[in-house]
Amino acid sequence: MAIDPNAETRTGRRGRGADAKRDREVELYVEGADWETVVDAVEDETLTVNMGPQHPSTHGVLRLVLELDGEVVNKLTPIIGYLHTGIEKSAEFRPWVQGTTFVTRMDYLSPLFNEAAYSMGVEKLLDIEVPERAQAARVILLEFNRIASHLVWLATGGMELGSTTMMVFGFREREHILDLFESQSGLRMNHAYIRPGGLAQDVTDDFVQRCETLLELLPRKIAEYEDLLLRNPIWNDRLRDVGHIDAQTCYDYGITGPLLRAAGVPWDLRKSNPYSGYEQYDFDIPTESAGDCFARFLVRIEEMRQSMRIIRQALDTLPGGPVMVADKRIAWPSQQSLGPDGIGNDPEYIRHIMGESMEALINHFKLVTQGFTVPAGQVYVPIESPRGELGYAMTSTGTNKPYRVHVRDPSFVNLQAADVMSRGHMVSDVVVVVASLDPVMGGVDR
Amino acid sequence: MSELYVPSPTHGLTGESVSLQDIEARVLDAFPEITADVVRDELTLHVAPDQLVEVMTFCRDDEQLSCELLADLAGIHWPAGDHIIERQASTTGWPEYRTSREHGAIEVNYILRSVTRNHWFRLSVATPDDDPRLPSVTDIYKTANFHEREVYDFFGVEFTGHPDLTRILMPDDWLGHPHRKDYPLGGVEVDYKNDKFIPPPDQRDLREVVD
Amino acid sequence: MGLESKLPNGILLTNVEKFVNYSRSTSLWPATFGLACCAIEMMTSGAARHDISRFGMEVFRASPRQADLMIVAGRVSNKMAPVLRRIYDQMADPKWVLSMGVCATSGGMFNNYALVQGVDHIVPVDMYVPGCPPRPEMLIDGILKLHEKIRNETFAEQGAKA
Repeated sequence: MAIDPNAETRTGRRGRGADAKRDREVELYVEGADWETVVDAVEDETLTVNMGPQHPSTHGVLRLVLELDGEVVNKLTPIIGYLHTGIEKSAEFRPWVQGTTFVTRMDYLSPLFNEAAYSMGVEKLLDIEVPERAQAARVILLEFNRIASHLVWLATGGMELGSTTMMVFGFREREHILDLFESQSGLRMNHAYIRPGGLAQDVTDDFVQRCETLLELLPRKIAEYEDLLLRNPIWNDRLRDVGHIDAQTCYDYGITGPLLRAAGVPWDLRKSNPYSGYEQYDFDIPTESAGDCFARFLVRIEEMRQSMRIIRQALDTLPGGPVMVADKRIAWPSQQSLGPDGIGNDPEYIRHIMGESMEALINHFKLVTQGFTVPAGQVYVPIESPRGELGYAMTSTGTNKPYRVHVRDPSFVNLQAADVMSRGHMVSDVVVVVASLDPVMGGVDR
Repeated sequence: MSELYVPSPTHGLTGESVSLQDIEARVLDAFPEITADVVRDELTLHVAPDQLVEVMTFCRDDEQLSCELLADLAGIHWPAGDHIIERQASTTGWPEYRTSREHGAIEVNYILRSVTRNHWFRLSVATPDDDPRLPSVTDIYKTANFHEREVYDFFGVEFTGHPDLTRILMPDDWLGHPHRKDYPLGGVEVDYKNDKFIPPPDQRDLREVVD
Repeated sequence: MGLESKLPNGILLTNVEKFVNYSRSTSLWPATFGLACCAIEMMTSGAARHDISRFGMEVFRASPRQADLMIVAGRVSNKMAPVLRRIYDQMADPKWVLSMGVCATSGGMFNNYALVQGVDHIVPVDMYVPGCPPRPEMLIDGILKLHEKIRNETFAEQGAKA
């Protein structure tokens, strides 16, 4: 058995299988000048490493089983289901409105998107038109939620790569956005605010002013993040040329959202299938052509800017009017207002239903306990969530409960690409790849 | 890539979108046995299981249809016999909803989307629920991998030709297929003060609690 | 009274239990067990506005062997339950568990086949923090009450737990 000692030593990224090894011939030297070849000759197997469900860098309860050849990943198998909550089945036992509270906890970083898509599905089945003020308010809140979600992505992605500064920055800005959500819906996260028919209640009087303050604050901060990361040599080295995926592979794997846009395809459901009034607003679709993690980072930063542009336009043209559809058989009846001890039932409304109008009382009772009935049929409503195409396939049999709600979650679909994106890279790049996919395990496992 | 348009409601990336009627006409031309309907502006093509792979390949490769993305793969269980949807009839006097079917079926819906042309439609396939079996489409769209595992996990549909058909969201040794209508919701009773028990939502008859 | 009045300035007397409990409670390191939405609120409570670094807790140890407190933040599914128990077993004594959010406390709004209805079916819990998700202030309140509890614990109780 002979080997050419001047043969090119193999270092760096390798991607071929065990067959190549068997074909080579190996001669071993006593002086020890052959450590690389010895290791290669002896090591026929790949090492299987489990990045278990409890891990600081896997973005939630994601289990990755890596088959490693040294430090290089040959295959990556994601194992999911550690957060499965049976939300789709639970929704079949509750009236349509209560589905909002379930569905909002799926993709918990962008709860308003879940609610909006669910409500739009119910509205499509009911064949009703949401008032314009509700549509504009939905757009504003959705875009703020998109910014908040990208901030969490930046924060956790930065933390996983070692930049705890980014973590503190991202969450600091997100607090301001959560303040806005709290002032409108009462909750910082998982607000059940967007309901079928419109919004649960009208936006507050200082809504426009709060949004304007935020719109003044955020551009400076996003410029700060760019300052920190854009030309940072560590960030560049870890993100450039890692996790490359091209457009055809994206199509094969059903990938949409920032990953597809970073691969050069300007596909955005807000432009191609506009919903909730998006056709009135003028914004660009940020696209990069490199298809690697750095391109996705650039796309997401630019998306935050475009979101602010949309919010600016929506704020300027915010119409007056009701925020709930006028049909009394569907509109959520109760009103809440700020009293001396916090937000509670509006005393005016209580006086009306208890004292003045029996029909209003009965209507309130029926809607809150039984809920409205939705005509039979099947719909599929896709919207553009921060992670990609979020679609709801809903089936109704004409009762007050859904028959089947299926959620096409973008994180679930995009996670399949983690394998093809991390082959040939090292273990530490797996963290970068998974971070750039931005999976939210609540959406993956539902 | 040649010049790409920014998509708009009538336009995809490279070409004009095809109207739903034209899509229907084109598919029915090639496969006359398929039935189609357009409800609420959504086109649904009802395909038989043995034709599924052919139709899907046609939809992907045809120049007018060019469906690059498989957006969604969902299952719905329609059980045979009487299925009572509303169990709480005794509490508020709501009508008891019942559906009734002769043969149980599991319906699997595939949503195909074209990015270059900007249209989407649904392929609907049904398989009997006592031995559900469908051909796998992972060769056509790799994204179907996880989706088909999910439908197998929750409905028990066996996809022939799938590279790795195992449970995906439930634990590996789980018995039963949770999203089927004959599988209970599985909650626990909640006990409150004064010895009052509230059963899980699918077994509630609140009149018992009130009394 | 006795000894204290005869001592010069700058010397404090205490007993071992109090001293040990004081040091345990003021640098209680949490193990990262963030599962779902509550995990985000837990991360927020570690971030700039609500800062649990004030209480010595901003180091979320990834390895359970180096952690004292397991904050179970989020819904525990049946698939995750054995993992939870394993992480708890890997933690070194003394250890405490704080169940954050209603899903960890009692299954929350998800009373179904997929979730463990309360993490106390699996691990012994010292503090329950309700909420869906609990605000960071609520979580910090729960943590401070846990600090109280730790300061009042005797060695015998801690030994009985193990």
